[in-house]
Formats: sequence, structure tokens, C-alpha cells
Amino acid sequence: MVEVKLHDIGEGMHEGEVIHFFVKTGDSVKIDQPLVEVQTDKVTAELPSPAAGTIKDIKVKEGDVVTVGSVILTIEAASTPTSPSSKAEDKVNASEQPVVDKIVKAPSNTTFAGGIATLNKRVLAAPFTRKIARENGVDIEQITGTGAGGRVTDQDVYNFIENGSVPKAEEKIETEAPEEVNTAPSFATKNAEEIPFKGRRKQIAKKMVQSLATIPHVTHFEEIDVTAVMELKKQLKAMDPENKRGMNVSVAAFFVKAIQIALKDFPIFNAKLDEENEVIRLEKNVNIGIATDSDEGLIVPVISHVEQRNVRDIAHDMKDKITRAKTNKLKGSDMTGGTFTISNVGPLGSIAATPIINHPEVALMAFHKTKKTPVVVGNEIVIRSMMNVSMSFDHRVADGATAVMFTNRVKELIENPYFMTLELI
Amino acid sequence: MTTAVDTKKLTMVQAVTDGMRVMMKEQENVIVLGEDVGQNGGVFRATDGLVAEFGEKRVIDTPLAESGIIGTSIGLAMNGFKPIAEMQFLGFIYPAFNQIMTHASRIRARTLGAFTVPMVIRAPFGAGVRAPEIHSDSVEALFTGMPGMKVVVPSNPYDAKGMLISAIEDPDPVLFLEPMRCYRSTKMDVPDGKYNVPLGKAARLQEGDDVTVFAYGAMIDVVMKAAKTAEEKGINCDVIDLRSLYPLDKEMIAESVQKTGRAVIVHEAPGTGGLGETIMSLINDTSFLYMKAPIERVTGFDTPVPMFALEDHYLPSAERVVQAIEKVTQF
Repeated sequence: MVEVKLHDIGEGMHEGEVIHFFVKTGDSVKIDQPLVEVQTDKVTAELPSPAAGTIKDIKVKEGDVVTVGSVILTIEAASTPTSPSSKAEDKVNASEQPVVDKIVKAPSNTTFAGGIATLNKRVLAAPFTRKIARENGVDIEQITGTGAGGRVTDQDVYNFIENGSVPKAEEKIETEAPEEVNTAPSFATKNAEEIPFKGRRKQIAKKMVQSLATIPHVTHFEEIDVTAVMELKKQLKAMDPENKRGMNVSVAAFFVKAIQIALKDFPIFNAKLDEENEVIRLEKNVNIGIATDSDEGLIVPVISHVEQRNVRDIAHDMKDKITRAKTNKLKGSDMTGGTFTISNVGPLGSIAATPIINHPEVALMAFHKTKKTPVVVGNEIVIRSMMNVSMSFDHRVADGATAVMFTNRVKELIENPYFMTLELI
Repeated sequence: MTTAVDTKKLTMVQAVTDGMRVMMKEQENVIVLGEDVGQNGGVFRATDGLVAEFGEKRVIDTPLAESGIIGTSIGLAMNGFKPIAEMQFLGFIYPAFNQIMTHASRIRARTLGAFTVPMVIRAPFGAGVRAPEIHSDSVEALFTGMPGMKVVVPSNPYDAKGMLISAIEDPDPVLFLEPMRCYRSTKMDVPDGKYNVPLGKAARLQEGDDVTVFAYGAMIDVVMKAAKTAEEKGINCDVIDLRSLYPLDKEMIAESVQKTGRAVIVHEAPGTGGLGETIMSLINDTSFLYMKAPIERVTGFDTPVPMFALEDHYLPSAERVVQAIEKVTQF
């Protein structure tokens, strides 16, 4: 049932006089057909019909003064106008429901995700987030927000984009695979816990595949005597036990500095290969990425401009970035611009690895566990702190001999840390 | 090749004096008028020494009548002079408001460009110096809504001299606001001779990616402190000194918020009807789709500037600005 009310047809009017009805009870009317003429203190206006149907009940008489919002008459709305061919269908589905009711109820009978509720509700999202969604062809109203107050975040949209495409791809593989071929591995099993393969894990996977598929990796191993550098660290700490002067620096900071100094002699490992333009770009800055293990997987914050920084500064920056990496507080700018990566897996314990290079960089060096080992120095067997390193490099760009020489230079600097003083800027 | 430029370390008020001196030397039609600007050297000594150097015909002590000072300046400006009128405080400008609104700002339009009013109104303004009532008003927004009138606010001695010279050379009336808190708070190397800092251009004081902080005048010191605290918390602020309140540097405002997606606007004038609202509209018009969080404003309150015991509570503090920065970055 559609109620026709007197609405405000002039500026701020609150009542009007019914002058003339153009229709009577039982008349059929079309949409926009004039129903009644109303006189206000400013205008005389015809009220058109808001719906097609039959005049059911006229509530007021000609000459009555009615206030804005009062019901003047009601219309029993007709069913949807139909073409002759569909009339039979109408009879089959004969419904007494007026059109307006149907419109309101129709979506609840449909099966698309979201239903009527999503049509009426607007999700909370910042304009920038909406822009991301729109540019990726995503209906943001279909996303469940995880932000404050249920707000859709940028990450929610990215997750939706990522996850929205994954099931489709899987479906396609399944339907296209011939059923009789059983060689494809079956992942389905009742006795397995499922971990979603998305987000950070998926990004790492993508990056690793890209790196390994692009770069012919070669890994060269070496062992380094770190006794001297550990002793130096100990002495520095003893001189500043409360770290008031920032002298309590990590051994890893010396490794970073040693690599930077060695890269001056072997800049080919501080480079990027631009295959498309057929050029190897030797980077001027030395920005060392620190492969860091976090709860969400591998993350590589970057220590920038190592060539301009002292060991204390490097140590401080490393500590800060590794802490933030582990607490997921790094910003995008903290992780970009790397030119060489180190992986300090020693504290976790390992003796060798074949690390994957951080594409498009050219090399990566992993530092392994330090352990006290009897070694021959001169003609004596002495106990020294020994550490293995694994140097992976891009064999398209450099050769084994260069990698060995580079590693030897790193070894020389770490074994004789006072050599680094010659490189002070 | 570099060109050596002689500089002197000057306070802002000394830089203002120097700017006037340079232009009075260069152009004989530049004159100064206002209450106590002559023998007394101005309430803040901004005109100190000018009467001795240029004489009483060019540095004129006027009666205590702001309407008269501005009205006279308008007539002089339309007849070949370049008057620099001093209001003792911006809060005393109200008697002259009619002259500014109905004449100075619209004579170019009224005469279809036949006449312009190349005058400068200098006015100390703002709170934080423990001045009595009315002396501390920040009513710059009354004038930014006045088409035909430029409104500028330097925040340091270098800008003060360069912008004042640009204002004197401008063919239209310029309200040159001088934040009292900055008058003697800092010294800076200022070139001896003539140089221009263009009107209508903002200055980026600090580069950052996380949030843009807009301010001007005495609030620059406050936002720089806040930006430093924010940086210690890992938030990098793009700090913009607006300098020109009308016209605003729309390009830099849009460019910065489109980079950061977040904005905090700081001024000591009351929030309602303040310049912050204009900047919010501008961001809405140019950069809505780039915004990651609602814009925050840190302003004075919708009250007259209180007596000095409460002044510090009225003025935006670095703490309030840091809170706003955190609010928009954590949204």
C-alpha cells in the first residue's frame, strides 16, 4: 500500500487546502498521473502519483486544510507492468504483494553474499582506502573491516584482493585437471592442520621464487677467526659498562663495517644487474640489508649509507631496526634501497647454508655459529673462536675467484679489526 | 662560482627595520606612518632610527586614530606613495577595519584596475608575551576572507625582511603580520642588502612522509618541537610554514598531503572560522582521495585570549600537537 502524503511543495509551508481531486476511489492510476490539486499560501500545485495502481482510500475532502505529512489518499500498487508474453508467468506466480513491497523483499530471496544488509550499510573506510579498492575493482562494501570500530584498512583491501583471486585460480586448476591423471599431488588430508598461505609468507615465497628463478646462485664458504673482534667488543664494553657512551656494540656491527670496506675493493658485489638495458649498475651507497627472523617470517630492514657511518652508529641502527622488525613496526622506507644483504644466523646456530640472494642484489653473506675450535697458528695448536661464512653470489655478474677474494678481504678485516681503523673517514 | 653576501645576525624586529630602511633608501616614495613610529621608534622599536635617517616627512607620527592612519595611507597609496602603516597591535585595527574592507581591498576592482593601493599594514599580533587584553588577538582570519588583500606572516628574521620588501613592492595592499613572540626569540643571518622572499609561497621546514603539519608565525617553533618528539616515536613529519595566509600556497599544501595522506593544522587563533577550516576545505577539494585519516586541528579556543595567567593553556602546546600527530597516524 502506498500512502500519498502532503509534502512541502513551497518554502517552509506547513499546510495546504485541497482544491480538487482528479481521481476517485477505485480509479486506476499511472505513475506521475496528477491525483490532487493543493493550494498553499504561495502556490497551487498538483500532486502526482508516486506509483501505478488503484486508488484505495481517499482520506480527506475537497476544501479540507491538511498539514504537511498528512496522508491524503492511499494507492494499492499494481504488480510490475508486464508484456503480453509474461502475463502467463504472472498468473503462475500470482502475488498480491504491491510493487514496493516486492522491491524491498526481493534481495532477501537472492543468494549473493551480503544480502540486503550490505545494500543499506556503508562500511567505514578512509578515502584513500576506498581509492585502493576502486582502482582494483573491489566492492569495498563486501569487505569486513579489521580496523578500529570495524573500519576497513588498506591491508584489508589488499588481503581481499589477494584472497579473492586465490580460490578462483585453485578452482580452475581443479576443474581443468583430467580426473584420470592421478600424478598430481593431493593436498587433501583429514589429519593436517591448515595454515593460510598468504600475507607475508606468500610475499616471501614469491620473492624467493623470483630470485632463484632469475639468478644462477653460487655459494662460496670460508671460515673466519673472530677471536680478535670478540675481544675488541669485550674491551669496549669494559670501558663503558653502563653503555653511557654507546660503546657496547655488537660484533655484527663490525661484520657490517668489514663488508662495506671490502665492497670498496669489490664494488661488483654492491651492484644491480639491469638485464633489459644490458648494464650492471655499481651502487654508490652501501646499504646493507639485515635478514631478520620475525614471528611473521623473514624480513630485511636496511642500514643505509654504511659508508658514511661509524661502527657505533651502525650498531645502534641495527639494534633499533631489528627490534622493530621483530615487533612489526618497520616502515616501508626502512626496508627499501638495500644493495647487499647479510644473514646473521649464528645466534640461531648453523655451520653452513646456501642462502638465496635478495633480488635484484648481486650477493649475500651469511654469518654462522661461532664456536671455540682448536686451530693451528704458526706451529702451535691454540683455541680460537671460529665462524663459518657462506657467500652466495650472482654468477652472471661475478665469478668465483672474485667472490673468494672478496670473502678473503672480509676475513682479513674481521680477523684484524684494527685494519678497519685505516678506513676511518 | 659563488657570490659572497654580507650578512648580519638580526632578530626579527631588527630584520623588519632593516627591510624598511633598504626600501626607504631605494625609493623616496616609501614612507612610514603610525602611532609613536617617529621619535619613539615604535612600540616595539621596529622603526627605531628611521626618523633620524629619513626625516619627519617620511617617518610620520600620527594621532591615536587607526581609521585615520589607514584612510590617509589609502589616499597616499593611490597618489604615488608607498605607505607602510604601523598598527601598534593587530587587536587595535578594528577602527580601521572599515577603511580596509570597503576601500583598500577593493579599489583595484572598483576602478577596474585603474588604481591600485600599494600599501603595507604592519601589525604585531599573537599571544605568549603576557600582554594585556586585546593586545594578543590573532584575528588574521578576518582579513583572509577579504578579497584583494594579501595577508602574510613571517616566522623568522630572514623571511621577515625578504617578505616585507616583497610586500612593499607589491602593487596591492598587504597585511604584514609580525608574531610578537618571534620578535626577539631568535637571531639569524640576514643579508645586508635587498632580497625578496616571494609572497604566496609556503616553505617546507622539514621533510617527512607520515603526516603533514601546517603552521605559521609563532606556532612554527611549537610544531618543530612537536615534530622532533614525533620523530623520536618513529613518525616523520612534513612541516610546512605557510607564510602566506592569503593567497595560500595551494600547490605545496596539496603536494604535501597527497604524499603523506594525513594533516595536522596548527594556529593559535580560535578554531571556528580560523584558517584551519580554509585549509581543510582546500585539502578536501584537491586531495580527498589521498586522505588516510581525518584532518586534525590544534588551535586556540573559541574565546578571547585570556589574561596572562591562563595564556599558556590557551595557546597550542607541543604536547597538544604531538597528540594530534599521533591521533592521525594511529587512526
